[in-house]
Parts: sequence; structure tokens; C-alpha cells
Amino acid sequence: MKFIKFLVSLIIAAGLTYILNRPLGALPALGKLFNPFEGFWQNGGTKSSPDELKLDGIKDEVSVIFDDNRVPHVFAQNEDDLYFTQGYLVAQDRLWQMEFYTLAASGRLSEVVGERAIELDRYNRRMGMAETAKKIAASYKKDDVAFKVLSAYAAGVNAYIKQLSYKDLPVEYKIIGYQPEEWSPYKTILMLMNMRQVLNGGSEDFRMSNVLAKYGPEVVKDLFPDYPIVESPIIPVGTKWEFTPVPVPAIPTEIAAKPAGKDGAVAFNIAAPAPEIGSNNWAVGGSKSASGLPILANDPHLQLTLPSIWYQMQLSTPTMNVYGACLPGTPGVTIGFNKDIAWGVTNVGSDVMDFYQIKFKDKSQKEYWYNGAWKPTTMLIQEFKIKGKSESLKDTVYYTHHGPVLYNRASENNYAKSFPVGHAMKWVGHEEDNSDLMGFYYLNRAKNYDDYRKALTYYKAPAQNFIFADNHNDIAITPNGKLPLKWKEQGKFILDGSNPAHDWQGWIPAEQNPTVKNPPRGFVSSANQFSTDPTYPYYLGWKFAPSERGIRINERLEAMQKATIDSLRSVQNDNFNVEARRVLPDVMKILAADSANTNNTAYQALVKWNMKNDPYEVAPTIFERWVKELRTWVWEDDFSAQSEKDPMSQPTRDRTWELIKNQPTAKWFDNINTKDKVETVEDIVRGSFKATVDSLTTKLGPLNAETWAWTKVKSTDINHLGRLPGFGRQDIPNGGGPGIVNATSETHGPSWRMVVQLDKEWPKAYGLYPGGQSGNPGSPYYDNMVDKWAKGELNELLFMKNKDEKSSKIVSTTKVIGKK
Amino acid sequence: MSYIIILIVSAIAQLFLPWWVIAPIAFLVGMMKSKSSSGSFFAGAGAIATLWIAYALYLNMSSDGLMLDRVGGLFLESMKFLKNIPYTLSFFVIMALIGGLVGGFSALAGYQFKQLTK
Repeated sequence: MKFIKFLVSLIIAAGLTYILNRPLGALPALGKLFNPFEGFWQNGGTKSSPDELKLDGIKDEVSVIFDDNRVPHVFAQNEDDLYFTQGYLVAQDRLWQMEFYTLAASGRLSEVVGERAIELDRYNRRMGMAETAKKIAASYKKDDVAFKVLSAYAAGVNAYIKQLSYKDLPVEYKIIGYQPEEWSPYKTILMLMNMRQVLNGGSEDFRMSNVLAKYGPEVVKDLFPDYPIVESPIIPVGTKWEFTPVPVPAIPTEIAAKPAGKDGAVAFNIAAPAPEIGSNNWAVGGSKSASGLPILANDPHLQLTLPSIWYQMQLSTPTMNVYGACLPGTPGVTIGFNKDIAWGVTNVGSDVMDFYQIKFKDKSQKEYWYNGAWKPTTMLIQEFKIKGKSESLKDTVYYTHHGPVLYNRASENNYAKSFPVGHAMKWVGHEEDNSDLMGFYYLNRAKNYDDYRKALTYYKAPAQNFIFADNHNDIAITPNGKLPLKWKEQGKFILDGSNPAHDWQGWIPAEQNPTVKNPPRGFVSSANQFSTDPTYPYYLGWKFAPSERGIRINERLEAMQKATIDSLRSVQNDNFNVEARRVLPDVMKILAADSANTNNTAYQALVKWNMKNDPYEVAPTIFERWVKELRTWVWEDDFSAQSEKDPMSQPTRDRTWELIKNQPTAKWFDNINTKDKVETVEDIVRGSFKATVDSLTTKLGPLNAETWAWTKVKSTDINHLGRLPGFGRQDIPNGGGPGIVNATSETHGPSWRMVVQLDKEWPKAYGLYPGGQSGNPGSPYYDNMVDKWAKGELNELLFMKNKDEKSSKIVSTTKVIGKK
Repeated sequence: MSYIIILIVSAIAQLFLPWWVIAPIAFLVGMMKSKSSSGSFFAGAGAIATLWIAYALYLNMSSDGLMLDRVGGLFLESMKFLKNIPYTLSFFVIMALIGGLVGGFSALAGYQFKQLTK
């Protein structure tokens, strides 16, 4: 009896301890997570930095000065120490985040979160980002500057990881239940591959092929032109091309692959380039500024997450002193300024991802038809370890000379629904030129325009509009990166993988990338619109981001005199709706002709609207939802974007508004699904308006200023990067929208806003991002900039001249020295 | 007496060792010091629950409760039945249960082990 009592209590005690020490299904190990000595309780607050830190690997003394926004200002005496310390500090604040990006890019998320990530992982592995990153990392030589920078940074990250015990781990590791791995230069490259995918990873080719197959080249030419009707290109119209162009490959007789028939049918939606991934930047020259010297502004629009994609730092050595926004996991400053210059980036929307239809010899996919012969594929087996499963999953990827075959059999749960079956991908993201980081390395040190131009030669992908201003009164902008030398419309449709004329045949010479310096209009700008007008001798793509943001920025800057930091800040927060100005008169005229509409309160709200997407207006809600509905009413019957079988691209908004204004009798207004009726433009405009108001009323109640307010309907959320509920910020009050200069949508928006006023003595800079320096959700610095960001305010940035400078913003100083 | 010993020894040991060290500690103290089975259980359970609640309260207050708010939000999303209880309370209860049950049963097992040798 005694023995049984003992045994029972022992089994309960040991069993409980055992169970609570391991993950239970979706739940993490509860004993580990909840006990206050190691669990999540340990993650509250922000630990203050020690006065002295001894790190193995530091050569000379480094001073790290923290300001009141927890921005570290690093003063090192040599570059190795500088990047080592940068790695250490970024890891201290953002370790979980930076590793998460690399796990995603290398297709390894299922190792930590289990089966639900497997389709995303398969997709990312097939894209081959890990393979490219490995090759790039291996191509660095020991004596390379880049390799030294990457290695010092990795050593710094690892110095931080090494001294972590379970209780110090970022709380996400505790909740999800895994451990950080060692960092390496390869992982930094993965981080950059992640950016290549975010910025250059979409394609409309197969949807355009469906349009071509159904309607033929005439309709494509009419409805899907290669240049918009209304545009304000990045390089001002009239800028001379000061080079002799190289010959462009001849346009082949067939410009697209023939429809493949049932077996190779192009299945489904590749994510089209996301219209919300865009950015603004501009610089006004001295002729337009109050100070007589340039002012530069930049706000890259990315998915808004906590922790934020940016981390602020000042990095200083005896030969360099730079401040700006850094990508966690990446050495150096990505967008920023130094004493003499400031620079920024926006994405170039050129077509750098194409698909080739591949005709395999047989099901084994060992050979494919190319240039009149069978050519062997190479095969790569990808293995996926999945958390909670004892067996790993294998996936075979076939490579053609174009690139990897994305999907070779249709599967319901293919992550990107999107990629064509039996189609190989050619993508600039696979380019192995290894010098992107050096582009930023040299920009960090640039002193003038020539240094800027030299720095750009190192940068390859994803192509960016590099904007520049310096205190010698030079301003410039260059859509820069590796741009394929294409025949006109090459890659607008799915290409024929067997035809050598369809291959990419080289690159536009880098020095012939479009560029402009000190244009007569006194400012340079970009908002992802067309890089140039059609006089540029090379074909870059047929569709860029809609022109509205660019048009608005350019008209604001055109009108601006004696610009100050604050006037540029006001442009960043401009909520004016250029699209409304263009299309509203045409559609309101149609509504006005019918008294059923004019008595409608929604109609009256639009009449009274000042055409600004301000947060507490109801008109932007009606307008934004209506134009979306209107486009569906015009196009969905003829060009179904929703079709499961053959989804199609729809004409751009630019083309649609032109159709309404100048071709009101076009046959496209007729809804082909109504047999006995021929709809007119009037029917479509009025019908879509009524449908919009009805659906808003159903959802939000009768029109009222409270529930119909634009900010409520748009509801901007900044979610946690790993989608952990409770770790994000919801319903941020703000205006704007996609297509507005203040490009804040439901999930995307200005991820870093910066304004820098150049000066002969010392620049003045402002900036902030919707997040906080700390990646720790239990820290007050996790999201402390969000409220200010939502209001459109900026923080004055502390850019220190040297480590001894005094400032009321300085909170603490840490002396970092080597061990021994 | 066992209560105080378990509390103090666990507090020190957990600074260096994983959380489950409370199990062998409670077992040994239960074995050497406890006078009755219920006494051993409540000493073990009470000691760990008190220790954990006190330390968690301290940590939570010194960080303005930010972390608890976040984790609270997370768990409420996945366990809706907790919605009606303020999560500050439910989190302390869950934590006290985890520590208390392990501490209690371990001490009890220790006490019963000693009975075998009598």
C-alpha cells in the first residue's frame, strides 16, 4: 500500500514535470514559458545597457551612445569593430526578426512552426533564393572589403547569441519554442534575397497571355498599352540621353509562347507585382529651398510590421560618419545621410521576372526542347524538416538554362496559386553579382556626386531609384540596377522556352541606366512610376506603378518656393486624391443626370468633397470603394481576374478612366452576361455607384460620419511579423491610401519617413518609422513611434559630430572593449 | 518549516538551473522534513506558488505590465474561454497551478518515499 502511494505520487510529479517541460501540440512548453525565472515574465521592459561591455573580437575601444529613442550612436576606431558592434547591437534588439526573414527566404519556416508553413517553404525553395545566396556568399574572397564587413557583422551577431541563455531569448523563441542559430554572411545575403523577392517578385505574364489568347494583339495594343495616357516619368520629359545606345535584339516573329493546350495549361494567379509595394522620394535643389541648399525626402512603402523592417543607427569611424535606417541583418546604412550627402531609394518597377513555357520530352522531365534539340535539365532535391513530424518531406526541382521550373504539377495548396505549371522562371533575383552591399558601403562614405555615381555601379538588384543630394548643391536621381536588354514587349506574355530569340540577351550597359542631374525644374523625384518617357532607347516594361503619386509630388514641388523641412514633410503627408480629380467630373456628370442619385446623401458627400483622403471624411470611403467596384463592373465580364481557369489581367485604371472620358460608346461597357440588354457607360457608372452605396450601407449602417469615416473603413493594421495575435497594433488612425502620396493602406505604408536638409556645416535631419527600436514586445520602445507616425510628425534625429558631443537627448553610454 | 526551506532553496537554485529543479528540491525536502502527506503537499505547492507569484508580480510591476498585456492578448486569441476572466488574474492562476502542482506532488512523492523505509 505504501509502495502504491509512493508510486502514484511519483508518477504524477514526474509526469507533470515532463509534460510541462515540452511543447503540447500548438502550445509551447508551459513550465518553461510561465515560470518567472526563465519564462515570458523575464522579457518585460528594456534592460539598460551596461557601462562597460567586454566582447571577444573587439580590437580597440568602441563607444556606444544611446539616445532617448534608443538609437545607438556607434563610435569605433576601425571598420571591423564598427560592423562587429553593429551586428551585436542589432541582434540585441532584433535577433528574432532577422532570423525569421532568413528562415522565410530559405524555405525553412516549417522547421520552427510546423506543417502550416510547408507550402510557403516549397514556393520559396523552388524560387531558389537559398541557392543563389549560397553562391553569392561563397563568391566573396577572403581579402574582399565586402567579406570583411560581412564577417565582422556576423561575428558581432554571434557574440550576442553566444551569451544568451533561455531566459534572455526574445519572447517569440519561447512562445514558438526554438533556439536561434549561428549567424553568417550567407544569412545576410538571404536577408537581401528577401528584399529582392518583396520588391521584384511578381509577374503578370500568364494573365497577359490569357488576354492575348482570347482577344488577340489588337485589343492588347488598345487596352494594355506600353505607356500610360497620363504620366509624369521619373526622368523629366525632354532630358537628353547622353550616350550611344547599344543595339537592341530584334523582335522575333512570335513574341509569346503558343497556348500550351490542356496538359500544360497555365494554371492560376501568380501574385501580380503588389501595387502597394512602392515608395516616394524627392530632393529639391538650392534654387527652391529657403536655405539655398538641397533638401531630400524619402519614404519607402512596405508591409507594416512589428518589429519594424528598419532600425536606426549612427555609424562612425575616423573616416566615416553616417546616420540612417538599417535593415536588420545587413551591415551599414541603407537609407540615410552623412555630413555631405543624403540618399534614398524607391523601387524600380521594370519587368525583371519572366516565365518560359517548357516542353518536356516526357514525364521524367529530364530533357526539354530548346533550339531544335533536347537539352538536359538539372535536378535538385529539396528536403524539408517539419516540426512535429518524424519524416521529412522531399521535393524535386528541375532547372532549365532559364531558371527553375516553378511548379510542374497543379496542386490545390501551392502557396503562390500563381505559378504556371511546367514553366521556368527567369528572374533578376538569381543574378549572382555579389556587390549590392558595396553600393551601400560606398554611399555611406560618399562626399559628392561622383562618389554617388561610383557607388551605384556596385548595386545590382532589386533595381532602385537612387535619389541623391549634397551640400555642393547637386541633386540627382538614377533608376539603377541590372536591367535586362529586351526587345520591345519581351516578357509581357509567357515566353517560348524553346526559342533562343526569347532568351534574355544581355543587359543595358549600367552607365546607360536613366539618370538626371540638376534638371532645370529644380527638383528630382520618384514614386515608382515609369522611369522614362518612350524616348529612352530601351524597353523596361509595359506597366509601372500608377502615376498619381508621382503627378502629385511633382505638382507640389513645381509650385514650391523657399522649401523647408516642414514643407517637404507636408508633401509626405499629402492626402490629395489625383485619381478623383481626374475621373470624378466624368462620373459625377453621369450620376447628376439621374435625379435618383442627386438626392442620395452619398452623392452629396462626393459633391462637397475636397478630394483629400483625410481620415475622418466619408467621401474617400465612397470614392475608393466605388472606383474599385466600377472597374469590376467594366472589366470583370470580359477580362475575368477571378476566373479559376484562365484569370486575366484587367486594363489599368489609367486606361479605364480614359475609356470613360473619351470612348463612352466602347463595347466594353456592355455586360456580356446579360443576354437581352446592351449596357451603356451610364448604366455601368450608376449601377456600380448604387451597388457600392448599398454594400457600404449593409456593412456600416446608413451613411454617418462615425462608421463611414475613411480611417475606420481602411483600418490600417501593423501586425506582428510572425502574426502573433496581441503583438501588433490595430486600427491606426490615419488617412491616405494606395495611390495617395501618404500611401498608407490597410497593411502597407511609409515604413520610414526621412527629411534631410543639407548644410555646409552640419545637416539637419528628421525621421521616424511606425514601430520602435526594440523588437521586444514587452519593451516601451517596441512601438513608441507609432502614434507620432500616424499623426504625420517626425522626430529630430541626433546626428553627433563626435563621441564627446553633449546633448540633452543622450541617455547612456556603453564602453565596448575586447576581452583579455 | 518545509515550506520555508523549499521556497528559499528553489529561489536560489532557479537563478542558475532550469525551472524543473523545483521538483527534486521539493522531493528532497518532502522526504527529509515533512510530517504528513497533506503537510508535504501543501508545503510544496504553497512554497512554489508563493515564490512564483511574488517574483512574477515584481517583474510585472517593474516593467509596467507590458509583457503580460502582449502574452495575454496572444493567449486570449487562442483560448477564447478565458475571455471572461481578466488575463492578469488568469495568468497568475495558471502559473501558480503549474508551479504549485509540480511542487506539491514532488514533495508528496518525497514524503511517501520516506514512508517506504519506515
